Amino acid sequence: MTNLKYVGQPAQRVDALEKVMGKTKYVGDMSLPGMLYARTLRSEIPHGRIIKLDVSPALEVSGVIAVVTSDDFVNHGNFGFPISDMYMLAFEKVRYVGEGIASVAATTPEAALAGVKAIICEIEPLPAIFDMADALKPDAPQVGPTRTDGKHPNYIGHYPVYKGNPKEKFQDCDVVIEQKYETVMQEHAYLETEGGLAIPTPEGGVSVYLSCQSPFIPRNDLCKVLGLPADRVRVIVPPVGGSFGGKDDLNYQTAGQVAALALKAKRPVRMTFSREESIIASYKRGSMRMNIKLGADHDGTLKACEFRSLYDSGAYSSQSPFTSWRASIHAMGAYRYEDCSVDIDTVYTNTGYAGAYRGFGNTEVCSGIEQAIDEMADQLMMDPIDFRLKNCLKVGDVTPHGQLLSESVGLTDCLLAVRKMSDWDRKRKEFANQSPSAEKRRGIGVTALFHGTSLGAEGLDEATATIEIHSDNLVSITSGLTDYGTGARTVYTLIAAEILGINPDRIHVHNPDTNTAKDSGPTVASRTTILAGNSVRVAAQNLMQNLDWAAADYLKCDILLVHRVGEDYIGPSEEPVSWDIVVKHAREMGLVLSAFGRWSAPQIHWDEEKGTGTPYFAYHFGSQVAEVEVDLKTGHTDVINIWAVHDIGKVIFPQGAYGQLYGGISHGLGYGLYEDLDYQNGYAQSINFDTYLIPTSVDMPEIQAGFVEATFSQGPFGAKNVAEPAMVPTAPTILNAIANATGRRIRKLPANLERVMLGKELTKKGSPFSCKVALKIT
Amino acid sequence: MLINFILNQKPVSVDAPADITLLTLLRDYFKLTGTKEACEVGECGACSVLLDGELVNSCLVAAPSVTGHEVTTIEGIHDEDGGPNDLQRNFIAKGAVQCGFCIPGMVIAGEALLAVKSQPSRLEIREALAGNLCRCTGYMQIVDAIETTANDRAHMRNHEEREKNSQ
Repeated sequence: MTNLKYVGQPAQRVDALEKVMGKTKYVGDMSLPGMLYARTLRSEIPHGRIIKLDVSPALEVSGVIAVVTSDDFVNHGNFGFPISDMYMLAFEKVRYVGEGIASVAATTPEAALAGVKAIICEIEPLPAIFDMADALKPDAPQVGPTRTDGKHPNYIGHYPVYKGNPKEKFQDCDVVIEQKYETVMQEHAYLETEGGLAIPTPEGGVSVYLSCQSPFIPRNDLCKVLGLPADRVRVIVPPVGGSFGGKDDLNYQTAGQVAALALKAKRPVRMTFSREESIIASYKRGSMRMNIKLGADHDGTLKACEFRSLYDSGAYSSQSPFTSWRASIHAMGAYRYEDCSVDIDTVYTNTGYAGAYRGFGNTEVCSGIEQAIDEMADQLMMDPIDFRLKNCLKVGDVTPHGQLLSESVGLTDCLLAVRKMSDWDRKRKEFANQSPSAEKRRGIGVTALFHGTSLGAEGLDEATATIEIHSDNLVSITSGLTDYGTGARTVYTLIAAEILGINPDRIHVHNPDTNTAKDSGPTVASRTTILAGNSVRVAAQNLMQNLDWAAADYLKCDILLVHRVGEDYIGPSEEPVSWDIVVKHAREMGLVLSAFGRWSAPQIHWDEEKGTGTPYFAYHFGSQVAEVEVDLKTGHTDVINIWAVHDIGKVIFPQGAYGQLYGGISHGLGYGLYEDLDYQNGYAQSINFDTYLIPTSVDMPEIQAGFVEATFSQGPFGAKNVAEPAMVPTAPTILNAIANATGRRIRKLPANLERVMLGKELTKKGSPFSCKVALKIT
Repeated sequence: MLINFILNQKPVSVDAPADITLLTLLRDYFKLTGTKEACEVGECGACSVLLDGELVNSCLVAAPSVTGHEVTTIEGIHDEDGGPNDLQRNFIAKGAVQCGFCIPGMVIAGEALLAVKSQPSRLEIREALAGNLCRCTGYMQIVDAIETTANDRAHMRNHEEREKNSQ
């Protein structure tokens, strides 16, 4: 593995040129002759029964060609995984403001909207649940599907981790602290809104260009709801304008809607969302209420943790069962405990709905546990980094889940690195001596994190890649996992170039297409580098074997006597033979110049009842430090510096890895300081970027980032992952810095002006007006 | 109505409704899809273009108001050979691009800044980009790309200056 030529070396993104020239075609940039424009009628109330839905007036509107409702799908368009509680368009009931009811295709966007307005839709309002604490009350209105196991219909699941008995252990601890922490909903705010373009095919099927993460899921959903065999449904992922977990379930509905319309109209149909429609209709990061109790001894040994929380999934379960499970695994933080219990309960309400978002449960629990760890350090009068170093996971430790960590645990090195980079010790001392009357106060805070790699015990974990040398000797790669801006295609290119010993310029990675790529599971959970990267590695090695045979045959020597210099093959004669000649010779020998690579993740298991097992096969570790200046007069927090050092295993594409860290930190900074997709009585209070604020270039500090490469023996070249965990610790890092600056702790995100200045929230009065208007404007 | 203006250095004439935005005019009537639509309320900068050299959100400009004026879109930003110019090359070299959706607007904003300020500080670059949202990059590498281009162009000017003086 020494002397790597491409892996870990400076490289540029394979798709950057088209993007800087403005030539990249996202789905909203595509159009076809005769293409229709689609628009969806969406619910304006949070909970209701559809008593009348008459679409015939829409069909009278000039320009309207087709309308679809749940009646146009098999089994009313029911879909969803792991719980099938969603419909392509609402069936019998609506459960949140923004839920799709009927879709209209017309010759112009204006005609489609006129069609939507002409639909007669009468909805009888039903009592709704807006507070997750009310969801499981015996008389609570039913939001979730009827269930037969006697459990409350609004109950989604219970997610535990158990080790020993923390309740008893607390009695033996010198210091016990207990606090409540709360997070709010966060909007993904991908710059490209949702969209899809469906094209009916000559044999009665449909092809859909869909801005999404995981094309095989909508392909399978479409087969089910349209009653078509798999060979008649094709999903192609065009360049995706950001996703961060956000372009799954809602856009699978978009796929169903445009596909059904295209089949009915026998014409291409495109739907793109306005920003308002996107924010109102789409799922968010869910909100969580946590109660954390920690016990430790005076010497700084952390002994017991009890974590209880309630997670609000809103109107649909979406990915919340998995989000909640991942949250449970990470709830106690990256520390050793003698005894530990985690109990997370997840429920339905009528507050929008929650699904996947970068960090996927860990972002939520990390904001709680990493504040609690700081509060315990304060109680023990220990330095927060010293306290973390004393208790954090190391190689050879057994986690609270019962998993032995046998390799690749770089957390101590991450903590030591940020301590040094940030000049932590000097600043902690200096800030402790600030004048108590100063209006502007500086503070510095730290966090440590771990983040399980890939799906873990969520499901089957494998990926497949194909590789082929074409007649012009260019190499193409397919993967079923998507590059939605992350740089994955560049990672595959560098891995294949390294294995094949050829210039990366010879390699092209296709965008995922269900007709050409192999199903490799979902593109989620920061699993792409390890899973798809390994499958590309295996495919390239399989292809390489044939080239090695050809080289040895051409050079008339034993295969072991062939070596490489640059792209050339060299045998005992020392005469270099070009790669192109070897490829040509392989063809002449009749050898296939394509290969297939599958990689299955190491076996893991989880006991859902006992709350023990091996939840993930490897973990990312990291530590971040933030320095802030808090203006006590205005409540404004200025983040002056962030230092971030993460153990991502071997860094394959450095420029991309730094980009992931910087971008993740910007999501976390927003989450920590101002992002709050607040719902009042089921209505989103921010529906565009004028009121939903995300960090701008002036809000972001200069970030000092670094990597610890505690390589993972089974990762491609030792790589692990980076995308999700980059954002996980940033919000609590800033909150810990604010507490250091002000001496006051803000236990509910975000630390906005009023919480920092007043220590409480201002009263808000929600109006459904803006949501209702926004769903019916051009 | 007939709208006559200069688009990417070429005079154009288009028959379009009076009540559409410049953004719609560019995307739907000229098929210049490099200019992106992402908020339509002037908050995100994805629809940035140059209007007589100044940075504007094309979603906030009424199409007829460009009559007689000069509009430059991302399709009009390139080197003489049609390839990427130095700023665009630095966006690639510095890793400023992820999903790419904000990037045309960022390149336009970068050019608008460098046209009026040849050697901006990093803070000045950040201020110049404050109207352009990016959700992927955290802005670091975008600032790097613009800063590097400013330095490269300054070196180039100094070099040309020296050449001229030595002649």
